Formats: sequence, C-alpha cells, structure tokens
Amino acid sequence: MTQASFFPGGSQAARGLLARFPFMPALLILIALIVLNGVFEPNSLSYRAIRGLVSTYLALMLLAVAQTYVVYAADIDLSIGAILSLVNVSVIVLLDIFGGSPAMVLLACVAGVGIGALCGLVNGLVVAGLRLQAIVATFATSILFTGLALYVLPVAGTPAPAAFWRTYGGSFFGVPFVFAAAVVTAIVLYLLARARLITQLLAVGDDAQAAFQSGLPVTAIRIKGYVLCGVFAALAALCVTGDTASGDPLVGGKMVLNSVAAVVLGGTALSGGFGSVVGSVIGALIIGLISSLVFFVGTPSEWQNLVQGLAILIALMVGVLVGRKDKS
Amino acid sequence: MRTLAKITLASVSALTITAFAAQAEDYKIGLSNGWVGSEWRTQMIDEAKAAAEAWGEKGVEVEVVVQSANVDVPGQIAHVRNFISQGVDAIIINPNSPTAFDPVFAQAKEAGILVISTDAEVSSPDAIYVGIDQKTWAMESAKWLAETLEGEGKVVAINGVSGHPANEMRVSGYREVFEGYDGIEIVNEVNANWDQAQGQQAMQNLLATYPDIDGVWVQDGMAAGAWRSIMDAGKVEDIAATGEIRKDFIDLWVENDFTSGASVNPPGVMASALNVAVLMLQGKELKEAADKGQYGNAMYLPIPFIDGDNVEDVAGELDGKPGYYSFTSALSIEDAEALFN
Repeated sequence: MTQASFFPGGSQAARGLLARFPFMPALLILIALIVLNGVFEPNSLSYRAIRGLVSTYLALMLLAVAQTYVVYAADIDLSIGAILSLVNVSVIVLLDIFGGSPAMVLLACVAGVGIGALCGLVNGLVVAGLRLQAIVATFATSILFTGLALYVLPVAGTPAPAAFWRTYGGSFFGVPFVFAAAVVTAIVLYLLARARLITQLLAVGDDAQAAFQSGLPVTAIRIKGYVLCGVFAALAALCVTGDTASGDPLVGGKMVLNSVAAVVLGGTALSGGFGSVVGSVIGALIIGLISSLVFFVGTPSEWQNLVQGLAILIALMVGVLVGRKDKS
Repeated sequence: MRTLAKITLASVSALTITAFAAQAEDYKIGLSNGWVGSEWRTQMIDEAKAAAEAWGEKGVEVEVVVQSANVDVPGQIAHVRNFISQGVDAIIINPNSPTAFDPVFAQAKEAGILVISTDAEVSSPDAIYVGIDQKTWAMESAKWLAETLEGEGKVVAINGVSGHPANEMRVSGYREVFEGYDGIEIVNEVNANWDQAQGQQAMQNLLATYPDIDGVWVQDGMAAGAWRSIMDAGKVEDIAATGEIRKDFIDLWVENDFTSGASVNPPGVMASALNVAVLMLQGKELKEAADKGQYGNAMYLPIPFIDGDNVEDVAGELDGKPGYYSFTSALSIEDAEALFN
C-alpha cells in the first residue's frame, strides 16, 4: 500500500485497491491535514486537542454515516439536520420533565433513537412509498420536523442534567467516553457493512431497475435505508446533546450540507451504488480540520469563509481526480 | 471602505509590533464570531481590533486572533477549542446559542482562560456577559413611541426571528411598556426575521389591513424597509415609527424629517468587552460584580438613544462613512477603568 499508487498512472493493483477502499484519497487528505495542523499549531495534536476534536465532530461523523446509507441507494436526506434538532430537544425536554436519574437518561436516549427511526420511516414512506423526488420531499419534511422541534422547545435553552454531559465529557477507567463511543461505533459499522441490508441498498443504488427485476423489494429496502439514516441521525443528536448540554431547536440546520459534503469527500458516489461509511467519517474529520487549519495558518477574519470554502472545494477535486485517474 | 482598510492595516502593523516587542505585559485575546451575515458583525470585529491596538499606547500589547465564519453550533464550539489549543488569555465570543457553550466554557476556565460573551447572553457560570440589555433596549424605544403618541393610539409591532432569545427579550420589553399606557393598543404583532425586504412587506400588509394606525414599533434591520412602505403609502406625516442606526437610514430620516426614535445596539460592544477583558486580565476587581440578567453573570452597558433632538448631530458624526456603517459607541479604556477598583 504505497502512496504513489494513488496518483496518476495507477497500476492494476491500485485500481483494485481503490475499488475495495474508496476512502483512500480522503485518508491521504486527512493525514496531510493532520500534519499541516500540527505544523501550524503543535498544540492541535495534543491529547486534549484531539479529544476535543473527536467530541466536537463525533456528531458530524455519525450524521455523515447516516447520510451515507441513503446515498448508497441513490437517495438523499435533507431533513437529517432537522431530525437531529428534533431528537436533541425531545431528549432535553423528556429529561426536564422526568428528572435526570441515570435510568431516565438511558430511557430518554432510547426514546430519542425511536424518534429518529420514526422520522426516517416518514421520509422513507414519502420518498419510496409515494415516489416523490428525495431531494424535494426531504426538504419538505425538514420543515415539518423543524416545526415539531420548535413546538417541543420554542427557545434554545433548558440545560441537560449533569449526568448526561459529564458522561459524554468524562472518562471511564482512564478512557475518555468519546473515544470509547468512537470505537463502539466503528465495530457497529464494521458489522453493519456485512449486513444484508447494506448490500441490498448498494444494489438498489447501482441499478434500481435491475434490482427490482432480480426480485429485490426495492421500496422496502429504500424505506429501511431511511429508517437506518434516522437512527444514526438520532445517535448524532445524542452526541450534540452531550457536547452542548442543552436543547436548541435550530442546532442541526446548518449541519445538513456538511453531512453531504463529508459523504462525497469520503469517496461515496451521490449517484448511489458505490462508497463506504469509513470515507464519510474521514470526510467529517476533513471538514473539521480544514476549518481549524484556516484559523491556525492565520487567515484574516474577512477571508476565513472564502478560504474554507475553497479548501473544501480543493479537497473534493483532489478526491475526484485521484479516483478518476485510478478508475480509468 | 478606506476606514476599513486603515483599521486592517493598523491591526496588521499592531500584530507585527507585538511579534517583536518583548513587553512585560502582553495578552493574547481570541475573538469568535459565528455569523457573518451583516456589516454590523464586520464592524464589531474591526472596532475590537482597533480597541486592542489602542492599548499599545498604555504599554500593554494586546494581540487579537479572530475566528469569524458562518458556522453551526458545533463549529463555534470548535472555535473555542482552537483558542484553548493556542493558549489565549481570554476569549470574547458573540455566541450562536445561549446555552450550548456551558461544557466548553467550563473547559476554557479550567485552562485558565477568561471567557466573555457579548451581544447575546450565555447561561454559563464560567463566563460573563458584557453588552447591552436587550429588554431595556426595547423598553427605551417603546417609551419614546408611547410618549410621542402622547399615550394614545393604535400600534403595530414588527419583530425578528421567533424563538431567538434576543427577540423574546425585546418582545417582553415593549409589551411591558405599552401595558403601562391605557390609551396604547397593540393591534397586531408580526415576525419579519430581521430582514429588510420582509420588513417592508410586513409593513405594506399592516398598512393595508389597519389604515388608521398611529405608531409602529419595529426592530433594527427591518425599520428602513418599514419606513419605505410608510413613504410609499404617503403616511410619513401621520405615523411615528422606531428607526435604526445605519448611516443610510439616518440620512433618509434627516432628509424626510421622519418622526422616529432609535435605541442603539452599538457594534462597539465587542470593543467594550475587550477593554473589560484586559483590565480583568491585569487582575483588577470590578466595583460592581457582573451579576445581572437572567443568568446572573451580566454587566450591562449604557444604551445611547437617537431621536429628533440629536439625529442631526448623529448624521454629522457619520458623515463620510459608508452607507452600511452603524452609529456606534464603546467603553474607552478610561471608561472601562472607571468600572474597576
């Protein structure tokens, strides 16, 4: 696995590697970004900073994973941020009403995941069941879910019980919770990658007609994809709740397009049928590290937005170009 | 534009000097801004940079590092974490959420960093707020409107974003004032999301529905639009309405002799917060602890007011500035020192 093989003139072996590990270009960009961050701000590689990075971006990683599953089937979910907001405020309000005992916290989390799954089911029924365009239908449901979130909690506020965010920010037997959560997530993703549903989603995304003709229940598969997406969006919401310790009915709105960008950065095709969740996780980290790097290199404040946008664009182009060269 | 360039140049040279001068007293202060949708925010940061530079004359080198971009809440939490990594002495933040920063501010405090929020209050016990009281801001202009109407008349209100903390505080402020006047009747309240175009349209609708209104209480960012509708309807003579503080609106006001009054939410609040921060870093004690507001951690700044009596002076002061420039005020270093023992 040498670096050269991902660049122009890639050999047969490199092509095979890229097909097996579509996230390779993203991984190289990630490593480059980590090194650059370390050069411009050595402290950004400290244990504390890396722990901070993971606890801030764990939510976006999970959200990108959620998005990946629907993108596999050539669908998209623009309501993912609204689902996150709705789960966030629901958990906070439940805990506010029923108190913050550890058992209650656990119950509220389960309820939150249930709400996420329900939202996903609504999306699936609307998109796959009613056959509406995914991009427009989920945009509409995003407004619906945001409305619900504002009904549940009209103004940002209401603190989470200490048990909740102390757990998220704390350590157990010397291992920070967020690292443990990241490892558990990795194992779950590994197991899921072998699940039949994932293969079916990819088959539908590759060629829905062919999948249908070969006897796959395409509609049911797409609906299940949206439910899975809702569940992971809810898990992302639990991370946001842990990191912010409060409810905010508008918190997820701006994260939607970041999740899509992370998916594409990670080498997953928006046209469906090809990709990897590992890539999406890396994509989320790339987005986070780019915005830190823009600051650490000393970009003047007036230019930070522009430079950040350009950097993401370049990362996308590098990924696409490397991928294309190796596939051709 | 030239002023902007000057300020930028000045702050760049200030940074260069900081790099070379080995001062006994030098501080590094991080400024975080999570929304770049208006010139007000740009001016806020430029004024804070200029305030940092002014400390040079006192022999105190204040280096500012800025993170300003459109970010979501986790993105702004990352701003704070980046500042912690850089080892700044203080963080001044215009926060995207009132409550979401509690855990990360606690971490900043653990790292020995002073945290001050400005423009929007935060619930964190590990931070203080230096800025204006949004409720008082609304009460001042509501009082002006009620007095101008001599306590008698039909009033409509045009508000910002429903559910936004500052908006809710402002709404409770004007309602409280108008309740104190028996003759004032609020006939309708609408939201126009702090957007000029939506404000203009809301005003058109209101004028069509209630042709006999006497007063309009409209928040900044929408007042210019509302006044445009009032002008189109030919009702400038008959209606009193609140205004705003941008130069292009002040010019319009003077030109057309509006009956208007405006509470000032100055972009200088971040500069004020910076001066307070430096004095706190020097170990000085506040005369009056920052314990006001709903979270018990606020220190409120005075709110200037513009009405028919002083609008000409304000227009004179803003002469030569670009149209988007806001009338401003900030605690000078001396003003800030007066607040400390």
